[in-house]
Amino acid sequence: MLVVRILLTIFARGTSVSDIVISALFMAGIWRIFEKSGIKGWWALIPGAREYQLACCAGRESEGPVYSLASASSIALQVLSLLLSFNSTDVSTIEIMIAIGSMALALVSFIYSVRVYSGLIDVYGVRKRWLWLWVLPYTSFIPALLWGFGKKFQPAWKVEDIRTEMARLATHGSASVMSEGLTVNLTERSATEFFKKKVLLRDIHMAIPQGHMVLLLGGSGAGKTTYLNAINGYEKAKAEVLLNGTDLYKHYKKMQYEVGFVPQSEMMRGKDTVLNTLMDAARLRLPKEVSSEQRKARVNEVMEIFGLLPVKNNLVEKLSGGQKKRLSISMEFISNPSLFILDEPDSGLDGVMARELFEQLRKIADAGKIVIVITHTPDRVIDLFDDVIVLAKDSARTGRLAYYGSIEEARRFFGRDKMEQIVKSVNRKEEGGDGLADEFVMKYAKEVA
Amino acid sequence: MSEAHAKSQRQMMIRHRGRGAQVLIYLGKMLRMFIYQNDWKVLPMAALIAGLVGMVIRNRMFLNMEGTIMGAFAMVCVCIWNGCFNSIQVICRERDVIKREHRSGMHISSYIVSHMLYQALLCLAQTVVTLYVTQLVGVQYPWEGLVTPVFALDFMISMFLITYASDMMSLWVSALAKNTTAAMTIMPFVLIFQLVFSGGMLTLPAWTETLTHFTISNPGLKVIAAQADTNSRPYASIASMVSKMRDSEIGGAFTVGQVLDVLQADDNPAVAELRAKELGNAMTLAELKTVLESSQSFDALIKEPLLDGFTLEDALNAMEAAGLLEKYGDMQVGGTVTIGEAVDFLAGSPEMQAQRDQEISVHTTVGKVLDMAGEERVKAFLEEKAAAVSYNPDYDCTEKNITSYWLQLFMFVIAFALLSMITLEFIDKDKR
Repeated sequence: MLVVRILLTIFARGTSVSDIVISALFMAGIWRIFEKSGIKGWWALIPGAREYQLACCAGRESEGPVYSLASASSIALQVLSLLLSFNSTDVSTIEIMIAIGSMALALVSFIYSVRVYSGLIDVYGVRKRWLWLWVLPYTSFIPALLWGFGKKFQPAWKVEDIRTEMARLATHGSASVMSEGLTVNLTERSATEFFKKKVLLRDIHMAIPQGHMVLLLGGSGAGKTTYLNAINGYEKAKAEVLLNGTDLYKHYKKMQYEVGFVPQSEMMRGKDTVLNTLMDAARLRLPKEVSSEQRKARVNEVMEIFGLLPVKNNLVEKLSGGQKKRLSISMEFISNPSLFILDEPDSGLDGVMARELFEQLRKIADAGKIVIVITHTPDRVIDLFDDVIVLAKDSARTGRLAYYGSIEEARRFFGRDKMEQIVKSVNRKEEGGDGLADEFVMKYAKEVA
Repeated sequence: MSEAHAKSQRQMMIRHRGRGAQVLIYLGKMLRMFIYQNDWKVLPMAALIAGLVGMVIRNRMFLNMEGTIMGAFAMVCVCIWNGCFNSIQVICRERDVIKREHRSGMHISSYIVSHMLYQALLCLAQTVVTLYVTQLVGVQYPWEGLVTPVFALDFMISMFLITYASDMMSLWVSALAKNTTAAMTIMPFVLIFQLVFSGGMLTLPAWTETLTHFTISNPGLKVIAAQADTNSRPYASIASMVSKMRDSEIGGAFTVGQVLDVLQADDNPAVAELRAKELGNAMTLAELKTVLESSQSFDALIKEPLLDGFTLEDALNAMEAAGLLEKYGDMQVGGTVTIGEAVDFLAGSPEMQAQRDQEISVHTTVGKVLDMAGEERVKAFLEEKAAAVSYNPDYDCTEKNITSYWLQLFMFVIAFALLSMITLEFIDKDKR
């Protein structure tokens, strides 16, 4: 009855047959475009879902949720408005509100449609002027039909069938638990975005002995930071992470002081002094039983190790890039953690300063700690590392372990001398890499099996 | 058992600082920020705003009803503005830092409670500054309080709670926003919502009235208006409006019949009240004689023959000669008559019936009418009536009202603080 009522109202409101024909032609064209991109055509019939799938075809998946929601909400508001006006000719306050909401949503829809159709134009490799036909009212059915049914219009790539790829690239394994060191058995780290589960990391197993300084390599989007967040327990994955035999996930509240995580950017209050920043860090991280004198002594010791004593009364914002990095590391080092993780500590530092910093990290590792470092310029300091972890994004767009082992063995495994060449080998072709991620992931899985 | 494993086991036994101790760490940090991060600037800013607003309301607030409501609204705006801008950026500007510290063992509850304490101090200081400055520029505050012995203390509690509740609301917005740009984009909408839906200044459509329950400005406006005893103040603008209309011309044409019909409409309460009024008092015989003699038409009237050439003058002379007028000079003649009776009498007379269709034209000014009726009396009457019409039970200056508004504002404080806490607990879900 509701459908009949809506249809009656649509016709009563003057919706012409030509409008319906144009919509039908548009949907037919989009159906074929979806099929060309490897998506089920019937998505074209569902408003909202259609826009999301279109964004996926255009390689603009990130724009999809907003475009989809705006379109679906806009339609919902129109239907609501029709229902409200069915028995009445008066314009009520609610109808005015709906009209304002519809206008706002129409604007959002339009902006996102421009973004998505621009992406689709890139995927089909046609001229930008096609955009006019896509976004102007009553003309979008023309490119939809031409692209959908025309043989000369073909997408540059298809939306992969992730499930098939994931099944093809499945690996299994586990690392044996070490009583001294870090054992990681990560099965999966996923995130849900717009009702869609995305697997960010999969099948990563390793055991890092104490006293090792480990380099973490991988192209952008390979999941390096996600992996570090998963192993320090802050963003939990489907995994078992044991530090010196103790489960980090189960005892996170107690064990979090055993892990020092130095983020990529400084993340400190610029208007506080170096001394106060470290004193507060000490109060937060050191055990309750530590006396005030012991705390001050520890702060002084750390400042001396990292060369911060001359600037202890300076405001953080007045420090140089190198000093800020050292202060950031000091804040974590103050609690003398067993596992020390650093996300690009050398960003913004020149070669000499970066070398000095990594030498300090080597000393920390030599003191029996595990140090894991992400850096994008590994070759200048590679002699300081014991091991390397290589993460790569496979064809299912999931972060995978392409290698973990010694530096020398890594060179043999990848057949490349430089670490930067290794990263290039596993990067996707469209990112300027060699596109060998799947190959190395499977090779490594076979070697450790 | 290895040394590292033993250390891990020891780590499990170690206790770190709990929530209470962390509150003190962060409170200390915030007090340092007050000095180094220029948070102190909110105090001179509050003084400046209070000075500007005070100059506008000083001759109105606590003097008349509409001035007091306007002043109360202005004070609420000052409080909301101060509160909002105290904390709108405090969380979002250091979101990354919070995330890092949370990872290092910071409790979100400790962080929010330390903000609550710090912001309470800031709001208190702003309230004192605002009260002092407004008093300095000439706002005449009463002396006696209702809940506490001193009015200033009562008023300070109200202003503090409005400022603090707004501050906590902004703290929540700051916890929701991912960066300062987003927070500053949301802020105007929040302010407009608070001011439009205060429910005191603008007449809202019925369906939006529920929204007033979600605004701090609503109990804020009520508590200040109640403390200022708004309902007991005269409604002065109507009198000034009447004065301004003195030179306005009024007039028109109407028939005698229309006037009589209006004056006979008993079902109209105003007419009924008028009709019931007594028209003059009874007179003595001597007074009647004096009135008659002072009338210009009396000379002609007494010459008119009454009976067989016997005139009224003859009759009066005969009565005076007989000493009757002297003897009965103090005698009451006639009774009181109401306006209604007089009107009915006139309407019933055939002469008046004959005149029903006669047009009467009136051209005068409001000033002349006021002079006839007594300007001060008219103004007092209008002020009294307008105040009665504008009476709002929400503005009654009672202890029950005021404490209930304080409680509502306090509930806002707690609710927004809790919302901030819950929102910030999801900081680990932030996209990098």
